[in-house]
Amino acid sequence: MDRFAFVLRRPLQLVPVLFGISLVTFVLVQLMPGDPVRIMLGPRASADAIAAVRARYGLDQPVLLQYGYYLLNVLRADFGRSLAYRAPVLDVILARLVPTICLLAYGLVMSVAFTVALAVAAARRPGAWVDQMVRLFCVAGLGLPSFWLGLMLIMLFSLRLKLFPVSGFGESPVDVLWHLFLPALTIAIAVTPILTRNLRATLAAQSTADYAVAGRSKGLSENYVFFRHVFPNSLLPTISLLGIVVSFLIGGTVVVETVFNVPGMGQLMVRAVLLRDYFIVQGVTLFFAVGVVLTSFVVDIITVALDPRVKL
Amino acid sequence: MRRRQFLQTAASVAALSASPLVGRSARAQSKNVLRIGMEAEVLTLDPIKTVYGPDILIQGIMFARLMRASGDRKQLFPALAESHQISDDGKTYTFKLRAAKFSDGSPITAEDVAFSYTRMRFQKDSAYAGPFTALEKTEAADDNTVVMHLNKKFTPFVQLVEIWNSGIVPKANVQKLGDDQFGQAPVSSGPFRLVDWRKGDRVVLERNPHFYREGLPYLDGVEMIYVPDDNTRVSMLRAGEVDMIMATPFQLIKQLGAEGFQATPESASVINELLINHAAEPFNDVRVRQAVSMGIDRKAITDAVTLGLGQPASSLMAPVLNYFNTDLPVPVRDVAKAKELLAQAGKPNLSFDLLISAGIASDERTAVLMQSQLAEVGVTVNISKVDSTQEWTSLVDGTYQATLNWWYNETLDPDNALRWAVWGPGENKSYYTRYNNDKVNALLEQAASEPEGDGRKALYYEIQKMAYEEVAQIGLFYPPFRNVYSPRVQGLRLNPGYQFSTMDETKLVG
Repeated sequence: MDRFAFVLRRPLQLVPVLFGISLVTFVLVQLMPGDPVRIMLGPRASADAIAAVRARYGLDQPVLLQYGYYLLNVLRADFGRSLAYRAPVLDVILARLVPTICLLAYGLVMSVAFTVALAVAAARRPGAWVDQMVRLFCVAGLGLPSFWLGLMLIMLFSLRLKLFPVSGFGESPVDVLWHLFLPALTIAIAVTPILTRNLRATLAAQSTADYAVAGRSKGLSENYVFFRHVFPNSLLPTISLLGIVVSFLIGGTVVVETVFNVPGMGQLMVRAVLLRDYFIVQGVTLFFAVGVVLTSFVVDIITVALDPRVKL
Repeated sequence: MRRRQFLQTAASVAALSASPLVGRSARAQSKNVLRIGMEAEVLTLDPIKTVYGPDILIQGIMFARLMRASGDRKQLFPALAESHQISDDGKTYTFKLRAAKFSDGSPITAEDVAFSYTRMRFQKDSAYAGPFTALEKTEAADDNTVVMHLNKKFTPFVQLVEIWNSGIVPKANVQKLGDDQFGQAPVSSGPFRLVDWRKGDRVVLERNPHFYREGLPYLDGVEMIYVPDDNTRVSMLRAGEVDMIMATPFQLIKQLGAEGFQATPESASVINELLINHAAEPFNDVRVRQAVSMGIDRKAITDAVTLGLGQPASSLMAPVLNYFNTDLPVPVRDVAKAKELLAQAGKPNLSFDLLISAGIASDERTAVLMQSQLAEVGVTVNISKVDSTQEWTSLVDGTYQATLNWWYNETLDPDNALRWAVWGPGENKSYYTRYNNDKVNALLEQAASEPEGDGRKALYYEIQKMAYEEVAQIGLFYPPFRNVYSPRVQGLRLNPGYQFSTMDETKLVG
C-alpha cells in the first residue's frame, strides 16, 4: 500500500494551486474593461440603479479588499453571488456541473471504446488495409473542427434521419444518453485519433519486443501473446495521454456545448466572461482547477494499479 | 480490484457505449406548451430591476398591467383597470380596478397597485423609472380605486401604464420574500406563472389559473429556452424542438419561409445607427457629421445587412412610432458634396475610430461597408472590435468617437423615444452622444404636455427635422424583428415595443 502513499498526498497540492489560480483570475477579470452592472441592468438602466447595485455587491471597493473578502468567504464555502443571475455562485455552478460531467464521461467512454477497437485492429497487421483505413480516419478526425462536425451530425442524424435531438440535456438517465449521443460522438471523433495513433504505435512496437517474440517461440498463440502480454504492456502511455486530454476537455467542451445547446460549464464560463460576471468566472475557474488536479490524481492511481514496477 | 478485473470492466463498459441504439425515450412533452428559442437568457423576473431584452419579454407575460395592448400595440384596452379618468388639468389619473387575483389566488387590490408603482418609481435600484418622472405619487383611495398624481400635464402617461415595468406585483409576496428572492421566484399577476427556472438553460412557465381574463390563456405553458448559437436555434426549429425562434439570421428568414414556417418580418421600433460623440473631435463639427452622413450609402448597407427586409433610415426614430416625420427623405449619397464639407471644416483627410462589438455579424458587415464607402470620400475609418461590455462602457463614459448601436422603444409615443435619442438633459445624454440643443429640449417638453392631434404632430415633426439637419446621430436602417414561428403557432407576434402582448390569446394548433 505504501506505493500509493505519495499519490494520496496529491490532494494537498490543491491548496497552493487553487490559491494561485484564484488570485490570478481575480486580478485578470477585474482588469478587463467593462462594467458588469450596466450589462445586467440593460442599456436604459438609470445611473442611480447602477450605483445602488454596485454598492450592494461591493464592486465599489478596492480590488485587493474585494479579493480579501472573497478568500474569507471561500473558506466558509461561500463563493459569492452571481452578478447576472443574482443567485449564489455555487447553485449556478452545481446546476451546470452535471451536464458537463455527463458529456465528458460519455465522450471519454466512447473515445476509449473507439480507440481500443481501432488501435487493436490496426496494430494486429501493421500496413494492412485496416491499418491504412484507421490512419485515414485519424488524419481526417484530427482535421475536423468540432463546430463543423457538430453541425454536420445535426443535419444528418437530427434533421434528416430524425434519430437524435438537436439540443438539450434530458431528464432520465436513458434520456440523457439519447440527448448527449451526438455531442459525445463529436468529442469522441475529435479525441479518438489522438489516442489511437498513440496506442497503435505502442502496440506495434511492443508486438516485436523480446518478450513477445519469446512467447511466440514457446508456441503461445498470437491472440494469447497479444491480449495477455502486448496489450496490457502498451496501455500506460495512452493512459497518461488520456489524462492530458481530459484536462484539456475540462472547460474545452464549450464548442460542443454551444453547438448542441447543452447547458454546461463551458457555456457558463464564456457567458460569464462576456457579462463580466466576476464571481462566476472565479468559481468556474476553481472548479476547472480542481478537475484538472483530480484528473492527474486519478491517472496516477491507475498507473500505479496497472504497473507493479511503478513507484511514485 | 486486480488488474485483469480492471481491464475486463473497462472492456465491458467500452462495449456498452459502442452500441449506438439507445432507445428514444417517451419524454412527456405537453402538446400545448409554447417553446421559444431565445438568443439571450433571462436574468431576473423582477420587472423593476432590468431593461434587458429577454427579461422584459418574460416579465411582460408574467405581470399584468393597468392597460394591455393589441398585438401590434396600436390599441390599448382596459386590463387590471376597468376604466380610468383624467382630471381637467391632466395631472390626476384615477383608475378603477376590476376584481382580479394573483397567481397564488390572493386578490389584487389598489394597495398592491400603489405599492408596485411607488416601488417602480422611487426605489433606488429601479432600472427604468425615467419615463415616469412626472409621476409624483400613487395612492389607494379605496380597495379598487387608485389615484396617481403627476407634477405636470403629460400626454404619453396613458401609454406608460401598459409597459412591462409597470406590471403589478403582490405587495405581501415582495415584502415576505425580499427583492432578491422575489426576482427568482415571484408570485405573478399575468397570464403565466413560474414553474421552474433552470439558470442558463430555460424558464418554464405554466398557465395562471387565476388570470383575470376568463378562459385565457389558451396555452398550458411557455418555455423560454436560451440557445445562444444562431444555427442551433434554426436546427431546433426545424427539428420541432422549439415552436418559434427569435433573432433569426437574415439570410435564413426567407428560406425558412419557403420551408413552410411563418417568417413574415414583424415591424419593430428598432433603429440601427452610427452613434457619434458630439463632445469630442471630430464630430463636434456639424460639417463633419453632415459629410460622413452624406458619404454613406444607406440603401446599400440596408440591403447588404438586412437582405432587403429592412428600410433605410431617414429620421432618428422608427417609422412605426406615432408622429414619425414622413417629410424627411433618406439622405442621398453625395461624395462631391461630402468632400467639399470636409474641406470647409479643414479636415480633408479625416480619420476616426469606429468601435464595434465583436461577434455581431450585421455590425461587422455594416462597419466594413461604411469603411469602404467613406474611403471614397477620403475618410479613413479605423474599425476596432471589442466585446459588447467594453463597447457599452466606452459609450457611457464618452471615450469613443463613433460606434454602431441600436435601440427600440417600449411605447409608440415619440416622447420616450426622442427623449432617449436627442434630449440633452436626459440621464443618458442623448443616447450618450452628448448632443444637446436647447431648442430641441424645449420643444420636447412642450410636446409632452400637448394634447394628441396636429399641434403635437407639428412639434414632433419639427424636432425630428432639427435633429436630422444637425445630424444628431447617423441613422442607418430600420430592421424588422426576426422571429420565425412554426405553422402551429397562431395569434402571436412581437409588438413593435418588444412585447408578446397577445401571448394569452395565442394557440398551438395541430
